[in-house]
Amino acid sequence: MRALAAALALAAGLTLSAGARRQAPQRSRAQILALGERMYREGILPSGEPLQGVVKGDVPVSGAAFTCRNCHLRSGMGSYEGGVATPPITAAKLFQRQFWQFPSLTEAERIEAGVAQSKLRRPAYTDGTLADAIRTGVDPLGRTLNDVMPRYDLSPADMAILVAYLRTLSAEVSPGVTATTIRFATVLTPDVTAAEEEALRVPLDNFIASHNRLPQGFGNRMYRSASGRDMSLSHRQITLARWRLTGPPATWGAQLEAHQRREPVFALLGGMSHGDWKPIHTFCETRGIPCLFPLTDLPVVSDTDWYTVYFSKGLWQEGEAAARFLAGRPEGADPGRIVQAVADSPRARAAAMGFDLAWQEAGKAPVKTVRLPAGGLQEAALREWAAKGSVAVVLWDGPGAYPALAALAGPQLPVVFMASGLLGPRLGELPEAARASTYVTYPFRAPADEPKFARYANSLLAGLTALDNTERIYTRMYSLVEVLKQALMDMDRSYYRDAFLDALGMQKDRVLPDYERLSFGPGQRYAAKGCYVMQLTPGPQPVLVKRSDWVIH
Amino acid sequence: MAAVRGGTWGVRAGALALLAGLALLGAEPPYKRTVEAYAVPDVTLVDQDGAKVPLRSLLASDKVVVLDFIFGTCTTICPVLSAGYANLQQRLGPRSADIRLVSISIDPENDTPKVMRGYLKRYRARPGWTFLTGKREDIDRAMHAFNAYIPNKMSHYPLTLIRTPRSGAWTRIFGLMSTSEFLEECRNAGIQ
Ligand code: HEC
Repeated sequence: MRALAAALALAAGLTLSAGARRQAPQRSRAQILALGERMYREGILPSGEPLQGVVKGDVPVSGAAFTCRNCHLRSGMGSYEGGVATPPITAAKLFQRQFWQFPSLTEAERIEAGVAQSKLRRPAYTDGTLADAIRTGVDPLGRTLNDVMPRYDLSPADMAILVAYLRTLSAEVSPGVTATTIRFATVLTPDVTAAEEEALRVPLDNFIASHNRLPQGFGNRMYRSASGRDMSLSHRQITLARWRLTGPPATWGAQLEAHQRREPVFALLGGMSHGDWKPIHTFCETRGIPCLFPLTDLPVVSDTDWYTVYFSKGLWQEGEAAARFLAGRPEGADPGRIVQAVADSPRARAAAMGFDLAWQEAGKAPVKTVRLPAGGLQEAALREWAAKGSVAVVLWDGPGAYPALAALAGPQLPVVFMASGLLGPRLGELPEAARASTYVTYPFRAPADEPKFARYANSLLAGLTALDNTERIYTRMYSLVEVLKQALMDMDRSYYRDAFLDALGMQKDRVLPDYERLSFGPGQRYAAKGCYVMQLTPGPQPVLVKRSDWVIH
Repeated sequence: MAAVRGGTWGVRAGALALLAGLALLGAEPPYKRTVEAYAVPDVTLVDQDGAKVPLRSLLASDKVVVLDFIFGTCTTICPVLSAGYANLQQRLGPRSADIRLVSISIDPENDTPKVMRGYLKRYRARPGWTFLTGKREDIDRAMHAFNAYIPNKMSHYPLTLIRTPRSGAWTRIFGLMSTSEFLEECRNAGIQ
């Protein structure tokens, strides 16, 4: 509070001494922090103009292409890339002395560890020295900062706002974390069965049990690395609450609020729904709570939302894959002769939305879209499209469409696209005569390649009785655990929700069960980007054969 | 327990320690420059407009060609490389038509034409800057051909390659350049 007052006084004072004719606008603390956050994250000045800086001595950089967040990340935890270390600039780091060695130890820990005398990197910043560093690239010891760090020529008033924001950046440990514990929860919607819940919980519980035993080993091992991270300091016992939702989706938001009030958690892990994930997504977005890898085919697809990290875009992604694949085929050249038929369900509509957007992005004219009646695809409709010269039918319908496909199978049947996510376990029952002209989107690794990856999950299955993995629950929970372990380690002692998400974003690509590849990046929120287009072989035991790459360009 | 203390941990810590060491020396290493011959692989990539682009013919131009490897959501290095591209175009003004800037994505899964268009717009790219994505194996072949293979995009490094049209030779620059250095290198390659 006092720091903020000082920063504002500085702004006001300097504005006056600069002879400003206009009175400095009166702003509340919240307004100032919002403006500072916008400078930091979006590179936009309070005036609405882009921030201007200079990098590498003579390269002007501006605004959105070059925000503080780009390099220091949203939480301020910093990054390391290509030989350039961008240091953390959280409030706790900036306004404390920093040392070259063991930078993550606190002053008290330095004394205890006997490294209190090591070489100072810089003293704690003051508002003034911080402004100098940002403006001129010289730190309080007179060291010139690497010229990858831009020099920003900010007005004193704008600088005061940015500095006020930096004083709050990741300043308070996020809820759900104590000196000994970090609390998570997993959300289950009412449609999740007991067997599904077990498949979800057992791998997570097994991981947590082994994680919580770790401190037993701390006494006799060196857990400190050269960067000064010490597992015995960053380790927290993990707890995982179960938040089981009841009643209609419209009431879930309030239930989640009540859970979070009763037992605040740092983040949500996994969770599952057979329906729309949106109510939970919205809760996370408005409350700023991370959610890692919920199991859903109906995620919220957004370029900008921050808090929920999904395995994939679910059915949307299948639609996208069909569009990209079809756009590159001969039939794709003639959008006027393509029909998209969409069953009356949220799942079918999600596939259609993914299709439409990717189709448009491919620069194609819209295709004719029809809504299927409650009974699904009828033979007469299919016959009519074929008679009118349709070359392709994008069919977002379930196995109920099989009889119509079987009836028309043969030369009159156009090329058909379906989604494995809508066919479910009956995918293999696709009528044999229709297989040659039917393509199926498939968002997982080819089944023939999967067994050696699925085996990884066995390490977390002790005690699981429901070993059927049709829904890929326990294998995906294994992948969650792998990604979580790395994120917790990278987050180290920065127990800020944004740091957790930043750490996830900096993770390298992973090859794990189910998906061909999971990849990350700052702000990337759908880890598996690919989806195969497959065909079924003839015969009573059909197998899926790839007709596309994992990612279709 | 061993798994928790696994591989990348040590590597990262090592990198940080090395970095602290460099920084302690006080001086930043200048960029490293060599002249190389490369055989461009016969791969077809996809540009920001979704068009298929044969890499060989794109690079075998009578213009000076500059090539780098970036990705849309990269943190520190790509913004600096791309600001360098943008500023070079700016400084060359109308002469920027004499130079062909090419960026190849090392995150082809995320870098769709739409993402690449958004990226170029953020940097106010002018015509003449092509951002390419494509099949992972084609991108890998391109990286290998330029001795720039980066198996993990998070450990990528700053590299700029400049082709002199007269000789077909490539100047390989490891490190980040200022615009005056960049202009000087382009002049060496034949830009007036
Ligand atoms: C292109 C990447 C990049 C961008 C953008 C960037 N920084 Fe930096 N920043 C760095 C690097 C790299 C360093 C380390 C320089 C050194 O230590 O030699 C640094 C150092 C700093 C430091 C000094 C930290 C210390 O411990 O002494 C501060 C403060 C800082 N940056 C603030 C900011 C702010 C505020 C913004 C936005 C207005 C910003 N940076 C934008 C890369 C960046």
